[in-house]
Amino acid sequence: MKHSKIALLLSIIPGLGQFYNKQWVKGLTFLILAVSFFAVFKDLLNMGLWGIVTLGTEVPRDNSIFLLAEGIIALIVIAFGLAFYYINLKDAYKNGNLRDKNMKPSSLKEDYHNLVSQGYPYVISGPSLFILIFAVIFPILFSFALAFTNYDLYHSPPANLADWVGFDTFLEIFTVDIWRSTFFDVLTWTIIWTLVASTLQVALGIFLAIVVNQKDIRFKRFYRTVLVLPWAVPGFVTILIFAGLFNDSFGAINNDILAAFGIDAIPWLTDENWTKVALILMQGWLGFPYVFLVTTGVLQSIPDDLYEAATIDGASIFAKFKNITLPMILLAMAPIIITQYTFNFNNFNIIYLFNGGGPAVPGSNAGGTDILVSWIYKLTMQSSQYSLAAALTILLSIFVIAIALWQFRRTNSFKEGA
Amino acid sequence: MKLKKYFSILGGLALTLSLVACGPQESGNEDTGSNEEATETKELIVWEDIEKGEGIADAIAKFEEENGVTVTVIEKPYAQQIEDLRLDGPGGTGPDVLTMPGDQIGTAVTEGLIKELNVGDDVKSIYTEAAMQAQTVDGKVYGLPKAVETTTLYYNKDLISEEELPQTLEEWYDYSKEVTDGKQFGFLALFDQIYYAQSVMSGYGGYIFGQNEDGSFNADDIGLNNEGAIEGAQFIQKFYDEKLFPSGIIGEQGINVIESLFTEGKAAAIISGPWNVDPFTKAGVNFGVAKLPALANGENMSAFVNVKSYNVSSYSKNAELAEKFVAFIANEENSKTRYEITKEVPAVAALANDPVVAESEVAKAVAEQSQYSELMPNIPEMNEVWTPADASLQTIATGKAQPEEALNQAVETIKGQIEAKHK
Repeated sequence: MKHSKIALLLSIIPGLGQFYNKQWVKGLTFLILAVSFFAVFKDLLNMGLWGIVTLGTEVPRDNSIFLLAEGIIALIVIAFGLAFYYINLKDAYKNGNLRDKNMKPSSLKEDYHNLVSQGYPYVISGPSLFILIFAVIFPILFSFALAFTNYDLYHSPPANLADWVGFDTFLEIFTVDIWRSTFFDVLTWTIIWTLVASTLQVALGIFLAIVVNQKDIRFKRFYRTVLVLPWAVPGFVTILIFAGLFNDSFGAINNDILAAFGIDAIPWLTDENWTKVALILMQGWLGFPYVFLVTTGVLQSIPDDLYEAATIDGASIFAKFKNITLPMILLAMAPIIITQYTFNFNNFNIIYLFNGGGPAVPGSNAGGTDILVSWIYKLTMQSSQYSLAAALTILLSIFVIAIALWQFRRTNSFKEGA
Repeated sequence: MKLKKYFSILGGLALTLSLVACGPQESGNEDTGSNEEATETKELIVWEDIEKGEGIADAIAKFEEENGVTVTVIEKPYAQQIEDLRLDGPGGTGPDVLTMPGDQIGTAVTEGLIKELNVGDDVKSIYTEAAMQAQTVDGKVYGLPKAVETTTLYYNKDLISEEELPQTLEEWYDYSKEVTDGKQFGFLALFDQIYYAQSVMSGYGGYIFGQNEDGSFNADDIGLNNEGAIEGAQFIQKFYDEKLFPSGIIGEQGINVIESLFTEGKAAAIISGPWNVDPFTKAGVNFGVAKLPALANGENMSAFVNVKSYNVSSYSKNAELAEKFVAFIANEENSKTRYEITKEVPAVAALANDPVVAESEVAKAVAEQSQYSELMPNIPEMNEVWTPADASLQTIATGKAQPEEALNQAVETIKGQIEAKHK
């Protein structure tokens, strides 16, 4: 039998394959690590795996939600264990293979040098990967898992246990009338809101930046300061002030501004469509300064030679803008523009603070301007529909990811880096 | 490649091994939690409403002395305590005693967050019947009343004197017609919210949930779209149609607008709760408080009675002591002291005629209004009522829908949501 196979088989118990290859220190390390893995995580694995399968069997001893969390942690730990196990097997096989070819397996010292020289990036990023898994992956897995349980008011600890229900919750969104109609209403508005509000703020930001950046304009610094001001005031304060300004009967917009032009009062807060208009205008106002600043930065970096060459070729101002300025801006700013869209998709603050998702719409259990995220908030806070909210969150993430991916693929900005 | 095949076989083998090993030893961690009662360092953690802690300070000192325990009081916003208990309880940092709004009792009991109390009839009998009813779910008592709240009429004495005060809502309507000019308003209320609108609708015979013989609520019987409710809603709509209620008080920001109109002296009277006594006093408004006006049909306007209570967390390790504490802190004597300091009207029946309570205009108005008021349903299904009911009232207020269709729609939505979430 070949050394490689024997080493591999012996490595079923971590370390033995390395012993066979006469790599004593390495083998001992593997063995100790394996033993301590089980010693330390025995309880966690035991309770976690049992918990995630059953979600508890007895009240009030078992808390389904805690068991679920423990179970997910156990799975993550097992994944780490398996990775370690794979390294162990691979190492034994590789060194056995070297022996088959009558070459000497590397010594401990050589292994160390190998690790430091070739594995350096991994050694450095290892700890942060570890944190990343618990701080980012774990919560995502947890809320993902919740969507497949029936966790709600009647299935919540300590009085009751939750159970796995598979795709029932997702089915409910599309089969129960009250959810389906509301879901599609809310989704439609969410998408319109995202596209219109974000496009407005981006377009406004770029436009103003280009205007202010014109060579002949004086007091540039003054204009820039003024235009950045909306960004300097905390958003929620601005939104609350706007809610007052837009008030149908007492707000300054109706009473002072529109009245001065002889326009009748507009029902900003009580008519669904006008509320939507108000929200989009406000988001445009709140969002453009950031785009404006970034665009200003990009404009500084466009070399003057390009414009000079274009002038010599007889290009018009419009042609210069279309063929030089805009492509340069879009290329450099694509990532930022995408974040504007994804941010607005989940822009809870403005919707919630301005009018609480209102005004009310007959026959819907979300308000006229509720976007998905604010609707989910209402579901969790007002009626303890945790699993439904989790399921909606997953759907929402799918949309965000889809939008982001679609836009990423359409831009060139990332091709160079990758 | 051969290597891969080996790995997958071995990996699968290892995984099954580990799963088998970890399977069904479920009683592993069972006995650790429960056998700790031997520890003699007794300590109670009490979550009290924000800025209300001083009201129970003396009573706590006494309780500590009598029972040889340490009581730690932590102040938290009271509507949010049950929410915090969901996480802090199992986490081991929860309270033994907490305070919560009466309409959330049903939800809390369904979730098993609060413990049933063993209180005798002698204890129960000191509270008003309605207040005690609010603490009862399926015939079991889950808390003792701390204070009652109900909405009352606030009027600005600089604009209207006590003698001139219209006695019925119809008269207020006429009064409003006289004084309203777009800047100045007569009578205002947040009638686009069921919490306030129910005062009118209930007077004509509308109700949210019907009650069984034993006083418990029946979620299948929704009376929000019966004739009385519609009649009430039609009356409400008149205020908006005639612009007696400006459209600026409709919706999420309405509460702020109505309060600032009253503070600025632009509204003669509003309907609000006892929580506004302090802010209005501090703002220097010369206001009076009275029970709500009567209705054209002779009935008095109703209101929701909200009972604040002390409850025992089911995570409490000193449940017996906590129960004793609740009974002590909510007894007549301590309720009286607490009232004197915090001005929250107690639910102790004997105190209603006590000079300290009877002499206060606010407490008197609350006590008087309580007679005509109804209990806020405390079953979990109530959670489904607020949004659709408010939504329908809002569409009535904005004139987008007629009362009958709007209320029918609301009831349909409520039924649908109860069907979807509570069956």
